[in-house]
Amino acid sequence: MKQRLLIANRSEIAIRIIRSAHKLGMLAVVFQCDREPDALYLNYADEIIPARDAGNEKPIFLDPELIVNLALEHNIDLIHPGYGFLSENPDFAQLCVENGINFIGPSPELIREMGLKTVAKSMAIKAGLPLVPGSDGPVKDAEAAKAYADKIGYPVILKASAGGGGRGMRIVNKPETIERNFKSASDEALAAFGNGDMFIEKFLLNPKHLEFQIMGDKHGNVIHLGERECSLQRKHQKIMEEAPSASVTPNMRKEMGDMAVRFAKSIDYYSAGTIEFIMDEDGSYFFMEMNTRIQVEHPVTEMVTGVDLVDWQIRVALGEELTLKQEDIQINGWAIECRVNCEDPQNRFSPQTGFIDKIHFPQDENIRIESGVQNGSVVTPYFDSMIAKIIVHGKDRADVIQKTLAALYEFSLIGLKTTVPFCRTVLQHPEFVNATYTTRWVEHVFTSEMLENEEDEMIGALAATIMYASEYLQLSSDLPTYKNDSLNVWVLNKRLNY
Amino acid sequence: MGTTYIYKRDASRLFIALRENGKRYKIYIPKESKPVINGEELDIDFVEQEDFHYTFNWNGKRFHCELVSRDQNKAVIKVNGVEYKFSLESLFSYIRHGMIDKDGSQINENNIVSPMPGKIVDIFLSEGDLVNEGEPILSLEAMKMQNEISANCNGVIRKIRVQQGQSVMKDELLVEISSIDV
Repeated sequence: MKQRLLIANRSEIAIRIIRSAHKLGMLAVVFQCDREPDALYLNYADEIIPARDAGNEKPIFLDPELIVNLALEHNIDLIHPGYGFLSENPDFAQLCVENGINFIGPSPELIREMGLKTVAKSMAIKAGLPLVPGSDGPVKDAEAAKAYADKIGYPVILKASAGGGGRGMRIVNKPETIERNFKSASDEALAAFGNGDMFIEKFLLNPKHLEFQIMGDKHGNVIHLGERECSLQRKHQKIMEEAPSASVTPNMRKEMGDMAVRFAKSIDYYSAGTIEFIMDEDGSYFFMEMNTRIQVEHPVTEMVTGVDLVDWQIRVALGEELTLKQEDIQINGWAIECRVNCEDPQNRFSPQTGFIDKIHFPQDENIRIESGVQNGSVVTPYFDSMIAKIIVHGKDRADVIQKTLAALYEFSLIGLKTTVPFCRTVLQHPEFVNATYTTRWVEHVFTSEMLENEEDEMIGALAATIMYASEYLQLSSDLPTYKNDSLNVWVLNKRLNY
Repeated sequence: MGTTYIYKRDASRLFIALRENGKRYKIYIPKESKPVINGEELDIDFVEQEDFHYTFNWNGKRFHCELVSRDQNKAVIKVNGVEYKFSLESLFSYIRHGMIDKDGSQINENNIVSPMPGKIVDIFLSEGDLVNEGEPILSLEAMKMQNEISANCNGVIRKIRVQQGQSVMKDELLVEISSIDV
């Protein structure tokens, strides 16, 4: 009998996991969440469990008990949590384990330990990883934070021990504001994570964000699959990623990769994981944290290594031994991922909700599309703004930049605004082209005027004029016919009269 | 009538699209040919057209345009995912506003006077017509020779001061043109 794999997630990652489940001969089961009952991923599943969560405070993907109860009812063997939601919630993993369901990910204990940043850091120190100068554990109050900051020098960053996604985080530039910031960040963390513990560290002014993908099995084997650079962020969230990184030399790759593997081995890690580093302008790097889930940006690593990470996640969960050896992992070419978020880059990335009237993705053998939507899909305010990812592979960095730009010009979406024009702007900016961009790029360099260009503006003027002219000239009962074969612009006339 | 002129008389087909940043596009939409933008006929093709959405092709590139909002003569158009806001004017309302707003006036009056004494034998255009620079407006006969009097700018003919058969003096005002060349 086929194994039954339940995906406790939605959108593109659900479809991605379904693909791996099918490849491994499993039945893919998903939830139908009442907040988006017509979602695209439902079409790909073998079985759909109605969540009936309309009246619930939170959607099913955030409800461990409901997920596990329904999983038991439907004889589920394995649960894949995807990313976000409960993917790094140790209580959920624990609940799965207690109920005899195979949770695809590391052990609940490790999720818990890596989730507490101060614990993760002390484990990293033990494995010999470099850390940004900072407090060894939570600082007890605002006064202690100030004393510590005075010692290591400003700017400093305050972070919630249990935080993530930019919440419970403050950058403090001068001693006068540290106490106020400490209190507000701590309150925010307490509200969001149920834990107001804060730690403090030196803040790097222009850092790069690098991360190493690792994969381990339950037999003590761990390998790394090279790095990704995810320096392009807005509001502390990644928006474009590339693999490999132009800032990592082969020697550094080996050094950092070995370090990541050593760390994973020292904590008996298994499943897919990501070791995040922050790199200063002088090339020095420091351990930041470990993510215990599959990452949004995993496809760039898959594209340059040829390794299917989700397949291996599932196989490792089943107890299989990792047959890949470190020497098997070769970095082939370069890959870039652009996240298609329904956000308005002309208006501080504010979320866009509504209907996708029409969406068109580029197609090519070098292009991989991971999409959770189709024509007619609804983008609701209940979930993340990311609707798709466009991942492009090239023979080197210059090649992939050019191919990605071409791919993005082919993308179109009628109905909502997306981050695609933003990604096009990034790909053409000198700091991206020469790979000196840092996590501060959006904040320090980007302006919404950079999204515009003269050709688009001129064609926009033409389109606006045609729409206006169709009304104006209709009044003078003299319809012009700027024609291109059978196409007639002025068909619009009637529709424009509102 | 020269057919090589880009503006084909009908001034009601000429529009001005203005952006808040001060950028200005003079757009002429002829009956049966390509659009003229800022005095240049451009090889822009319509590829697709649906509801409030056009796709153009120009220089091998695609331009997806979508009408985002309309409020009287203001329109927000999304081009390849980026919004641009324009205010639109017909040539006539543009000239009218130019007259009222003396400081910001972009419209210049160009008067054509008779270069020599003679007789008007023919008038080719009418008031309100869009005229190209160098395009003949009328024919003046002097010393048994016919001289074509041409427009000294691109613009719209505001006033024709003479009639066919009329005799004129040197420097007599013949035609007033509102220039659109700015």
